[in-house]
Amino acid sequence: MQVFHDVAGRIESRPLLDWKAQGKPIVGYTCSYLPAEVFHAAGILPVRLRGIETDGMDIGDVYFGPFICSFPKCLLQLVGKGKYRFLDGAVITPGCDSMRRLDECWRKAGKDYEGVLPGFYYYFDVPHKAEGHGLQWFVAEIEYLIAEVEDYFGVEITDEKLRASIAEYNKGRRLLEAVESLRTAESPVISGADAFSATIAGAIMPRGEFTEQMAAWLEALEEKPPIDNVQKRVMLIGSISDDLELMRLIESQSGALVVSENLCFGARREGRPVDESGDPVKALADHYLGASICPRMYGKYKQRRALIEQKIEGANVDGVIMQNIRFCDLHGAENALFERDLEALGIPCLRIEREYGPMIDRGRLKLRINAFLERIGRRKRNAG
Amino acid sequence: MSIVAGCDVGSLTSKAVIMRANKIIGSYILKSKPKPEHSADAAFKGALAAAGLSVKDIACLIGTGYGREKMEFADNAVSEISCHGKGARWLLPSARTVIDIGGQDCKAMKLNSEGHVERFAANDKCASGTGRFLEVMAKVLGLEISELGPLSGKSKSPITLSSTCTVWAQADVIKYLNSGEPIENIGAGINIAMAKRVAILANSVKPENDVFMTGGVAKNKGVVSTLEKLLGMRIKKARRADPQMAGAIGAAVLAHEAVSSKESWTKGMEFN
Repeated sequence: MQVFHDVAGRIESRPLLDWKAQGKPIVGYTCSYLPAEVFHAAGILPVRLRGIETDGMDIGDVYFGPFICSFPKCLLQLVGKGKYRFLDGAVITPGCDSMRRLDECWRKAGKDYEGVLPGFYYYFDVPHKAEGHGLQWFVAEIEYLIAEVEDYFGVEITDEKLRASIAEYNKGRRLLEAVESLRTAESPVISGADAFSATIAGAIMPRGEFTEQMAAWLEALEEKPPIDNVQKRVMLIGSISDDLELMRLIESQSGALVVSENLCFGARREGRPVDESGDPVKALADHYLGASICPRMYGKYKQRRALIEQKIEGANVDGVIMQNIRFCDLHGAENALFERDLEALGIPCLRIEREYGPMIDRGRLKLRINAFLERIGRRKRNAG
Repeated sequence: MSIVAGCDVGSLTSKAVIMRANKIIGSYILKSKPKPEHSADAAFKGALAAAGLSVKDIACLIGTGYGREKMEFADNAVSEISCHGKGARWLLPSARTVIDIGGQDCKAMKLNSEGHVERFAANDKCASGTGRFLEVMAKVLGLEISELGPLSGKSKSPITLSSTCTVWAQADVIKYLNSGEPIENIGAGINIAMAKRVAILANSVKPENDVFMTGGVAKNKGVVSTLEKLLGMRIKKARRADPQMAGAIGAAVLAHEAVSSKESWTKGMEFN
């Protein structure tokens, strides 16, 4: 378990440095729509890029300006400071318009700061519709990506290698499903922060090591007694968040536990196992474009609301905390709809707007979360 | 009958209230000190002295405000959102919407029929719409903060502040002062700018009658009357006590409820 917290807690973690010390390449990527199996099949470590450890915005603000999501700004800040010099490649995905802008800002920063633009720098396009032409387009995008990776790194990514990588990733997905069922159970044995650190680590560690560590952790959990005094079962959803401190802040309040989430660094990213039969590229396209839907996708609100409602019921959630990064139109707008619809169903909701970064809003967020949990506590007492 | 207390350590002022049989028997307010524990201590001792009591007479004390977790003598801490809701209900039993403007934040709360906070919104962006905004502006005008409110009644042509960002608004105010604009027009413009920011927040919780204001800014007639116009609703006044004391009163009411509902009082128990 500790290894997951170590990996989730800093950028240059031990497993990543070990991989680099062996002379093997690392490629960073920015979004949950990228099929990491493509890089795994090429013997490359795919690492989800994060903005933790940002301690200023003197570079990010210059390229992006003040009125934009702070996540790509934090990434660029770290890039400019040389924190990501270990990367052999980077893949930028237009998860939203702010992330699309990271592509051009990083390219420009590459001219201004020597050595910060990796040799392999690729823009991986993702359509906004998961059906028909959109899916065909995405299949073609994965094929282009494979060809570029093969060409630049001098490797061959065969269907057999892709199938083997899908199978390896699926092992982790099944283990994460087991973790999900433990945290959503009536008497959870794991905290939200522990579960979240494991899912974050899954996007960073070499996958084989991740699978081994997950299996060992799950075995150890069999002996673990349930967490005491769980009175307020919380769900956390919304904008990009890989901040364990936010999870810990919620869980530091009396009797609160995050029993479910739907974040792109969390349970939503891995989802269910990928189909292991048939064409692996098509299977990856179906999974990454079709299964991990976020508000960037057109016409999926009802499907997403149904998923959230299903998770609320499955985890017996008492209240939903919806966070969004300032200027995140996608999640900001969706959170307002979720709040309207879920409150109408009698599910208490809290919407909070925050900056991405190492919990700079701690006091402000704590007050809101505190008051929200008090509301849940009162409600449960009145009902009971 | 148990004697209980509530202590609200805010960013600008700290307040404490002592209650017996649901009635205030002592209260104290002071400007907050750099350390919240010192503010809490001074406010509590001041209220005890006003009631002619000592610490051992208090059956339960609840702390609230940003310094709520720094009060060693408190039996528990409750968020100021819950406390202001409770305090507003005590001050005005018919209150369904509470607007609290504190020193560094501004909150709008919707209460259910039992007086519990069902929905709330709080300022997320900056100091505009908070007591600090008025404090900064009063200082620029060379006035006491209590002198700002009456200026609205004297002005026939309030200025329009181009921005409610505290820093930019301050620059605008200095510009108007330098150009010889009468001070009442500037003061009225400041109160209007403040009310506009607060109205956005209040509207986000869909206010219902009766609307009630707590916090120090509730005493600013200019802000209150503009807010009434913007919301199209009357804002009721408190007669039982100073609305600035609402957080501390709410904390004391919660302490009273906790003591009344539990035969054996346990320190640290949950009663939010």
